[in-house]
Parts: sequence; C-alpha cells; structure tokens
Amino acid sequence: MDEPPARARRAARSGPAAPAGAGTSPAAGHGKEAGRRRRPRRHQSCRYPEAVERLVRAHPVVVFMKGSPAQPLCGFSNAVVQILRLHGVQDYRAHDVLQDPDLRQGIKNYSNWPTIPQVYLNGEFVGGCDILLQMHQNGDLVEELKKLGIRSALLDAEKDQDKK
Amino acid sequence: MGRGGLQAGASGPVARAIRAKLRAALQPTHLQVLDESPRHAGPPGAESHFAVVVVSGRFAGLPPLQRHRLVHSVLRAELAGPLHALAIVARTPEQWGADPHVPPRPACLGGAKHERRRREEEEEEEDAGGDTR
Repeated sequence: MDEPPARARRAARSGPAAPAGAGTSPAAGHGKEAGRRRRPRRHQSCRYPEAVERLVRAHPVVVFMKGSPAQPLCGFSNAVVQILRLHGVQDYRAHDVLQDPDLRQGIKNYSNWPTIPQVYLNGEFVGGCDILLQMHQNGDLVEELKKLGIRSALLDAEKDQDKK
Repeated sequence: MGRGGLQAGASGPVARAIRAKLRAALQPTHLQVLDESPRHAGPPGAESHFAVVVVSGRFAGLPPLQRHRLVHSVLRAELAGPLHALAIVARTPEQWGADPHVPPRPACLGGAKHERRRREEEEEEEDAGGDTR
C-alpha cells in the first residue's frame, strides 16, 4: 500500500525503537560506519509486468507479503501464511515486498490490486487475506489446491477424525 | 477477536468519505465503516487502517474477487491516499441474513513500524551517500 506522507516519516524518526522480534533489522550501531547495513537489493526489472509474470508463474503457489513465512511483519500477511500452514502447504514461493519497493509497486500494477498480501495459484491472482480466509472457510481452497495437485492437510485431519 | 474489539461508527473525515462513497455507489442495506487504525502502528488520528462491511444487492452474481474490486474502484482515491489497509466483507443481503457475523481481523504485527524503520534507515543511507562516492 502507499506509504504515509513524508512529514509523518520525519516525525517518526524520533519515535520508539522497533519492537522486539523485528526480525530482519540488524542491531543498531553508532554513527554512519558502525553497523552500516547494505541497502536492500532493488530488482529494477520488477517494475515491469514481464518480470512480475515470471515470478507469479514460477511456482503453483506464490505469495507476495510483508516479511517472510518464518517472520511475517504484517497481520494480514501472517494470516495468509497461517492458512497455508493449516492446509499443509509448505512448498510455496514467498516474496517480501518490504525488501523491494519496485516489486511492491510492480505487483500492485500487475494485479490491479492495491494491497498486500497477494496470493497467486497457478499463476492466477486469487485475492488477498480476506478472500483466502473465505476460501479456507467455505472449502474452496481445498478444491483449488487439489487442482494444483496439492492435497490439503485438512482432508487428512477430517479422515483421522472420522476414524476415531 | 469479536465485536467487542471493533471501532464502530468511525467519524473522521476519511471514514465519512468512505461511508458516503459506498452508500452512493452500492446502496447498501447494511454498512459498517470501522477505523482500526488505533490497533495498528500508525500515528494518532491517522485513519490509515479500515475495515468495511458492505451488504448490497449489487454483489449478487459476483465472485469475491469482483466484489472486492468493485469496492476498490469506489474507494480508489482513498486507496491512493491515506488508506494503508482495507479489510472487506462484501455480502448480498441474503448472505448477510444467513450469516450476520464479521470474521475477526488479524492482530497487527507492527508492519507499519517496520516500514517506517526501513525507510528511515534508507533515508539515512541516502544522506550519507556522498561520503562513499
């Protein structure tokens, strides 16, 4: 999504330190040299739809999110990760848009969708957190995963319950 | 999180604009515009994070993706401006009658704070850039 205005960013400079478990941020140093961290790599090509298309088609399940599956940095992105986890989907591509501003804008342009996270199944945009949650609740996600050759873990969970 | 956590009847300027536009475009039979910004890491009065519950016959026959796109198109200006996040519940009157409940929204994981810190670090590096050329 679009960032807050510049004045809010400046005002936030003197704000509190990031919460514990911020994850990818390194330890703060003193001065410019100590603790200097490299600027995140910018994939210039991800401004362009062809580059984004390659990413969305690279794997049956592709997620554009804030943070990583191991450490989501946004509640909505985390919800997507948790839903996939519930279904036993462990093998998927996740792209952290916070690491790449070009990708962050490129994916929104590509899908014509203004927010993150974004979920792609078989190269097709299915929606964000709200829609994935709906699909999870109404059984559609199990069916969509089946079309991709992925058996949802929830089916096995139901089978186990039937046996008890 | 259930109804107790909702910020009902949001009344700031962005909330009013969202409400007015959704009413005009979708003639909802039920509409809730919830300012959830206080639950997220934005400055006070930010009006940055909203959830909308829209019940409208206009959604009939539309799959979820198209319903959300319709809401996005109505709120295009806000999404290009102050809105950082928008959760959407979009149901027909029949669906709402059968299930008048709103799923709880995920807890904030401080995403906006992480973004601010990242931008601040990048800005500091840019400011220092002259030293390394």
